[in-house]
Amino acid sequence: MPSAAVLQMEIERSLAARFPAALSPAPQTLGEAAATGVTAVDTLLQGGLPVGAVSELIGAESSGRTSLALAFVASRTAEGRVCAWVDTNDAFDPESAAGSGVDLNQLLWVRCRSTPCSQSSRDVPQAERRRSQSLPWTLLDQALRATDLLLHAGGFAAVVLDLATTAQEHGNRIPAATWWRFRQAAGSTHCSLVVLGRSAYAQSSAAIVLECVARQARASGGTILSSLQYDVTLKRDRSACISPRPIPARRPAASTWTTQPGWTQRTRRA
Amino acid sequence: MNFELYACVHAAELPAQALLRLRPELRAQPVVVLEGPAAQQAVCALNQRARQRGAVPGMARLDVESLPEMKLLWRSVQAETVARSILLECVSQFSPRIDDALGDACWDEGRQAGQATACAFVLDIQGTERLFGAPEQLAQRLRSCLSAAGFHVSIAVSANFHTARLVAAHRGGIRVIATGQEAAMLAGLPLTALGRDADLAEILAHWGIRNLGELAALPEAELVTRFGAKARAWSALAQGRAAHLFRPIQPALRLEEFCAFETPVAQMDSLLFTAARMIDCLAQRAESRALALATITARMRLEDGSWHQRAIRPALPSLDRRFLLKLVQMELGAHPPQAAVTSLLLQAEPGQSRQMQLGLFAPQMPEPSRLDITLARLKSIVGEDRVGSPVLEDTHRADSFHMLGFVADRAGAGQRPQNGSVQAPGAPERQSHRLSLRRMRPPRPVNVLLHADRPVAFHDRKQSFKITAAYGPWNSSGCWWSAATWESGPEPHGSAAWNSVEWDVLATSPDGAPCACLLSHHPQSNVWHLEAFYD
Repeated sequence: MPSAAVLQMEIERSLAARFPAALSPAPQTLGEAAATGVTAVDTLLQGGLPVGAVSELIGAESSGRTSLALAFVASRTAEGRVCAWVDTNDAFDPESAAGSGVDLNQLLWVRCRSTPCSQSSRDVPQAERRRSQSLPWTLLDQALRATDLLLHAGGFAAVVLDLATTAQEHGNRIPAATWWRFRQAAGSTHCSLVVLGRSAYAQSSAAIVLECVARQARASGGTILSSLQYDVTLKRDRSACISPRPIPARRPAASTWTTQPGWTQRTRRA
Repeated sequence: MNFELYACVHAAELPAQALLRLRPELRAQPVVVLEGPAAQQAVCALNQRARQRGAVPGMARLDVESLPEMKLLWRSVQAETVARSILLECVSQFSPRIDDALGDACWDEGRQAGQATACAFVLDIQGTERLFGAPEQLAQRLRSCLSAAGFHVSIAVSANFHTARLVAAHRGGIRVIATGQEAAMLAGLPLTALGRDADLAEILAHWGIRNLGELAALPEAELVTRFGAKARAWSALAQGRAAHLFRPIQPALRLEEFCAFETPVAQMDSLLFTAARMIDCLAQRAESRALALATITARMRLEDGSWHQRAIRPALPSLDRRFLLKLVQMELGAHPPQAAVTSLLLQAEPGQSRQMQLGLFAPQMPEPSRLDITLARLKSIVGEDRVGSPVLEDTHRADSFHMLGFVADRAGAGQRPQNGSVQAPGAPERQSHRLSLRRMRPPRPVNVLLHADRPVAFHDRKQSFKITAAYGPWNSSGCWWSAATWESGPEPHGSAAWNSVEWDVLATSPDGAPCACLLSHHPQSNVWHLEAFYD
């Protein structure tokens, strides 16, 4: 009675012309990572956010998701790469981005609009148009379509899909097939897709899920907001199931990092 | 030894050819082109199939309509002008010295009714044998080139300018006339080839002279005695020895294509079907000069008499027909004409196609042509003014910026001065990170509860927030020295003056979640707004 290994070898040999290694699992390799620019988070992630994969930054308002995403985009644009920011609720602040170090020349900002543009309004009947205008899904639909186009266009080092203000029930309605499509497109175009949201939407398609929580606010003199401190927890890491890294590192469960308003930095320089 | 050699290209029935050039599906049908006022419309040009059906130039419209399966088109002077420039451009590939045969004074004098609808150019092809081969080969290549451009022409090659011109006008196909054989080749041509001098034709007809061969046989001195000095020129023309002062013209590169529709076109697909053929021709013409298309402007004449104009500008000049057509499609899809289109004019500006050496370790950048299409698609989804790179305004007014078109400049990446960035590329990692805002656009009006002039709670339409700490007030104002009006609200409004008092507050929502936000108070209107969340 041949063993299972022998049987597997015989089957694979007979199918080798059509399917190489038909019964062997595909080898998994450690993917490339890009530093976020925040040392504590990079230490937590052992390098940074994965390239060619979907990363999610989740949390409530004022939890530091946007600051972390801007720090990541700043580090990518500083390398001469171009990035895109898909702004579902038109909440992106260019001044904050510039203050975080983002080269705005290298950033494509897509601002979804709350009313359908002229092209689509010609084709849809009035009742349908009125109904679609009242739904937030229109914004989300624009954002998803824009993200899909950007991921498939290629050449963008990072695409940020900003769903941070989108209601959780609307984010949960995004089909899993959409996230799967994004994951495949990001992998093929070597692009880091960063999703900001209130909770994790991408499910199994996400390589990294970071939960951000506001920890502490500090003031100087009782009149100036001087810093906000955040906790970052790694909720999901798909690469954790792969074989250990060549140099094992002790990974912290969570990290803490701090942001400061622009006026305190200017004061320090002066 | 004769050092002259000319090739004449003659395009007959130009009104018909200009209209059929972009519509090859009509070439298999009998087509006539009409001109004149509505009550006196007559045929000015027709194709061979229409001629076989019995149509002739000058036939009235009613007579033409009685012929079976006849396709009627209306003369378009603009289409003929464009066709003529294209024809000139095509022949200029074979010789830099080109003379307009119909612009010749002698030719103008004798232009016949049928010939006014023709177009002819004479090329000085002396010395082009090494480039294009023998005159027969050159003529074949010339005709192939013009056939690809949609023209049906006759070509004659001769050492005598006028012989080439007359033979091309009255003999079809390709004729190469050997030196010394000019008179023999011209002998069979009718006297009308010399012009429309009715008196001459009548007198010569009385004499029994019916073609150029018989005219050439007449003694020149006797002719001059009876008809004057111009008879000397007729005799020289008939004998194939008339001299000509060659006046080369300089064809200007005008990349234009025009198409007038028989019926107004309302469907975008039909319009793009024609536009595709026109773009193809434009790209082909630009390519023949080692150029690419930098911009394409589509001018559409609408049914109501107005004009609709849209332009596309690829990031890089391109010759990719499908890419350019896609851009035109996206542009017209985003800005469709408001009425049916009666004619379409495409004007292109040439540009140098850029070649760039890519670096092995250079960062990946979007492919320019693909990025153009992506941007056009994004604009069709979210709007024209909602896609691009933000540029900060030089002001302290909150949320002041404008959008610029996004350009992924591979060469300029890392070399341009950074727009707004505080940290230069390559600088050591910053130790402190900037606190970021998430703007509310437009700012959300809120009701604020004050205690000792400090906010302690605020309420928007959905929920109430209890303020745990408030930092401020921070006064901000501007443009009050020059503006006549004050902003009524918090939104940026041109150069209007603004005045606001800002508070950074830490608040707690009813479900206990903490948040940091920016509140603003406008003293003029006494309104509070939730400007942004710190995130």
